[in-house]
Amino acid sequence: MSATTYHGSGAHAPPKRKRTGFGRLLAPGLLRALWVAPLFCGLGILMVYGGRYIFSYHPYWKWDTILTVAFLTMLPLGFLVGIGAFDYWARYAIGAPTRPEDHSDHGAKSWRDYFRVNPDHKVIGVQYLVTTIVFFVIAGLLAMIMRAELARPGLQFVDSQTFNELFSVHASLMIFLFVIPAFAGLGNYVIPLMIGAPDMAFPRLNALSYWLLPIAGIMMVSSFAVPGFGSGWTGYAPLSSSHQGLGALFFNMGVQWAGASSIMTALNFLVTIITMRAPGMTFWRMPLLVWANFTTSMLVVIATPFIAGSQFFAMFDRVLHTDFFVPEKGGYILAYQHIFWFYSHPAVYIMMLPGFGIASEVISVMARKPIFGYRLMAFSLMAILVLGFSVWAHHMFVAGIAPWLRIPMMATSMLIAIPTGIKVFSWLATMWEGKIHFATPMLFALGFISMFVIGGLSGIYLAAVPIDIHVSDTYFVVAHIHYVLFGGSLFTIFAGIYYWFPKMTGRMYDERLGKLHFWLTFIGFNLTFFPMHWLGLQGMPRRVADYVPKFADLNMFISIASFGLGASTIVFLYNMITSWKRGPIAPPNPWRAMTLEWQVSSPPPIFNFDEIPQVVGSPYGYGTPGARHAVFNGDRTAVPEEVRTH
Amino acid sequence: VLQLVLLGVLFGAAATAVAYFVPWLPAADSTQAKRIHSLFWFVTAISIGVFALVAAVIVYSIIHFRAGPDDDSDGVPLHGNTGLEIVWTAFPAVLVTAITIVSAVILVQNGRAGADPLQVDVTAQQFLWSFSYPQYGNIVSPTLNLPVDRSVVLHLKSVDVIHSFWVPEFSQKQDAVPGIDTRLVITPRKIGTYPVICTELCGLGHALMRSRSIVTTKSGFQQWAAAQKKALNGPPGQAGLAVFNAQGCGSCHTFKPAGSTGKVGPALDNLPADAKRAGKSLAVYLRESIVDPNAYVVPGYPSGVMPDTFAHTIPADQLKELVAYLQTGTG
Repeated sequence: MSATTYHGSGAHAPPKRKRTGFGRLLAPGLLRALWVAPLFCGLGILMVYGGRYIFSYHPYWKWDTILTVAFLTMLPLGFLVGIGAFDYWARYAIGAPTRPEDHSDHGAKSWRDYFRVNPDHKVIGVQYLVTTIVFFVIAGLLAMIMRAELARPGLQFVDSQTFNELFSVHASLMIFLFVIPAFAGLGNYVIPLMIGAPDMAFPRLNALSYWLLPIAGIMMVSSFAVPGFGSGWTGYAPLSSSHQGLGALFFNMGVQWAGASSIMTALNFLVTIITMRAPGMTFWRMPLLVWANFTTSMLVVIATPFIAGSQFFAMFDRVLHTDFFVPEKGGYILAYQHIFWFYSHPAVYIMMLPGFGIASEVISVMARKPIFGYRLMAFSLMAILVLGFSVWAHHMFVAGIAPWLRIPMMATSMLIAIPTGIKVFSWLATMWEGKIHFATPMLFALGFISMFVIGGLSGIYLAAVPIDIHVSDTYFVVAHIHYVLFGGSLFTIFAGIYYWFPKMTGRMYDERLGKLHFWLTFIGFNLTFFPMHWLGLQGMPRRVADYVPKFADLNMFISIASFGLGASTIVFLYNMITSWKRGPIAPPNPWRAMTLEWQVSSPPPIFNFDEIPQVVGSPYGYGTPGARHAVFNGDRTAVPEEVRTH
Repeated sequence: VLQLVLLGVLFGAAATAVAYFVPWLPAADSTQAKRIHSLFWFVTAISIGVFALVAAVIVYSIIHFRAGPDDDSDGVPLHGNTGLEIVWTAFPAVLVTAITIVSAVILVQNGRAGADPLQVDVTAQQFLWSFSYPQYGNIVSPTLNLPVDRSVVLHLKSVDVIHSFWVPEFSQKQDAVPGIDTRLVITPRKIGTYPVICTELCGLGHALMRSRSIVTTKSGFQQWAAAQKKALNGPPGQAGLAVFNAQGCGSCHTFKPAGSTGKVGPALDNLPADAKRAGKSLAVYLRESIVDPNAYVVPGYPSGVMPDTFAHTIPADQLKELVAYLQTGTG
């Protein structure tokens, strides 16, 4: 067999037919999804109703089963079939002609190409980022409604059911539809470029994993349509499994779709990083963002099945009347929390390690200095990966777990401060005696370090069991997680978006608006979340729409600050949209960075590298005259003829 | 270097001022809270040190290592320093080990009950607390009445979903989980009235799931317990009122004879009219509304809010007293 292997019987790619009239309904795309999705939904209804009818299960029409099977499983599946996510594999499976080297659907020539199944990692990266920012804005608006309600004690704008749904959906969207996939989006765009690869290892899987995302997001948002998803993003059983309306099912299933998406992407990253590095790119020459995505992907692959399991158990208890969390029937309620946190604590690192990677890239480039202690930085990522699996029960110190478990879990949680401390000190040492340029990405990276230090220190309070007993389930915890996920993750996401904006769009963003955005966010963030520490210590529990009058004034202050914080996002969106449309044209390497993505044009050619890069040194050789990370010596052997740009 | 040290002192002093002048913690009104507060200040002292160090280095770098407008040169090509890296691995390790040891000691101390502790059975349900005292003839109270300076062991259980018991001034907290029994030790140090708060999201009424803890002198507590016991064994009306109060009915329902003003559910003063509308006799309607509250819901009120667990939690004789009491109070 030659290097070009054809699958199926035909030796040629399927001819691209120009479809007209009704034929267009058969072409993969949103139009076909529009009729295939309802068709699948109808099939699902028929399956449930028919099955129950055949076996004489009364009532034949049972809403929670129909909702789960037809609307939350079959409808999205039909959407994926319609949009064409499975077309290639379906052809391959039935023996129809397919051609793996057919790259005609790569790249985006018009905006329409962003609305189809597109296997190009750069298109997918942009799809990811735009989608996640949309859900970020929605989730932020939900938070604004919450703060409006919390400005005064008592109920003013929403009832307590709606309030419970507001914070549940806010957190679910921010976690599953923003922070995790936004990092996946940035990684999708940057990682293949950074390691000198033409694309991800499995481009079609990559496209599928993106299209699962809007499904999960729409599912979580539409839980408002039926009452019931008011159990928090943690969805603790038995509140979520037997004391809530149908809405809880939207969360149970939404997590499955989002989780499947992250597992696919993580596998893709792992295989890509392990097998597709450019010649000379040894593990110790990889940029730290690649290291970070590597460790994150391992966390995702190992941990995510656990949350999927916990949600299936809760859903089965409701829909199939199993007894996982029914103590009278031998169920064990704390099992939910153990399984849930076995994912959801590592998830904290899934939401933070890529941010560490971004901060490392930005700080080294902007300070014009090599990363201080590069190997220890990589080792500390691995240490967090391993330790991250041994601390889950620190979320359960007051939950009634076996008493002996609390002290070892405290000790391991405390140990995580060591690798995290190494990272912070190494960033500081990287800046020391540098030549620091304070562009917007650097401001966000510095904001990240300072806010993350505060979030890390409040984490020490929470790891110390006796203090945790006092503050768990209070606003202190709300303050802590926002210092970590907003001050930590979101600041690095902003740093990353500004840093790679010229690479992705080929245009520069407006630096003045970027700085304005940073200062508004930084100040608004601290005014909003720092006072919450006090509220929690003094006795305000979290997840309440109503509270005692002595907290009224501070809550009013927090609400006003949070509206300012919300408004800062408008500056960001305005900057992004106008700069993308008519910002000044960006040079290939505006930051004078050494990593590979900056050695190609902005935006990069369709297969990233017209010549195979030969990696010869560290990605952070700043300050050493003549240091090179990679050289291009005219090796074009692995670049397909038809995709070369020059 | 002098400037760096000065910056560090400045940030340390600022953080110390914030820690010192803002009243961060509530009063420490239990022995356990006192220990937790001392641990809090221990961790805070370490945190201020770390924060001052990081903030000083960042600000110093911003001032001194800023690149000039057209400065395209690079920084010093420094790749690492093994000695420094060992220091900043080992030093945090020592700090967190110290915090872990102190925390572990305090945790063990706070879990230990003193001699002859008062035993209290705590039952949590949507959305109320009830406390019963096995050493005092199983009297039941919607408030947690405690004697000062005697150690108390709370045995928590829940009949529906997870709840969590917390009194901020006592600093101790414990979830009440269906199916398992959990335990919490408290030794109140001061006479006073404190809020009991549910901190685990338990449904629609979570924010309102509150009670009070009333700490009195030892003799005051004995008198209270004796009075409660007498009420339970008293004439029909009085016993029914005791059940009404013990089950916390008044926190959701207005009922003039009991002096309650709750607004979550329908007013019980309208019971005869509601029974008529439901087409049932008052006694039947009353019993049904307590044990199966969703069978008929008064128009204008959402169904599913009143817990359907009273059938299990109210003993049969007490249920009878309660129905009789509500009947006489309205009819």
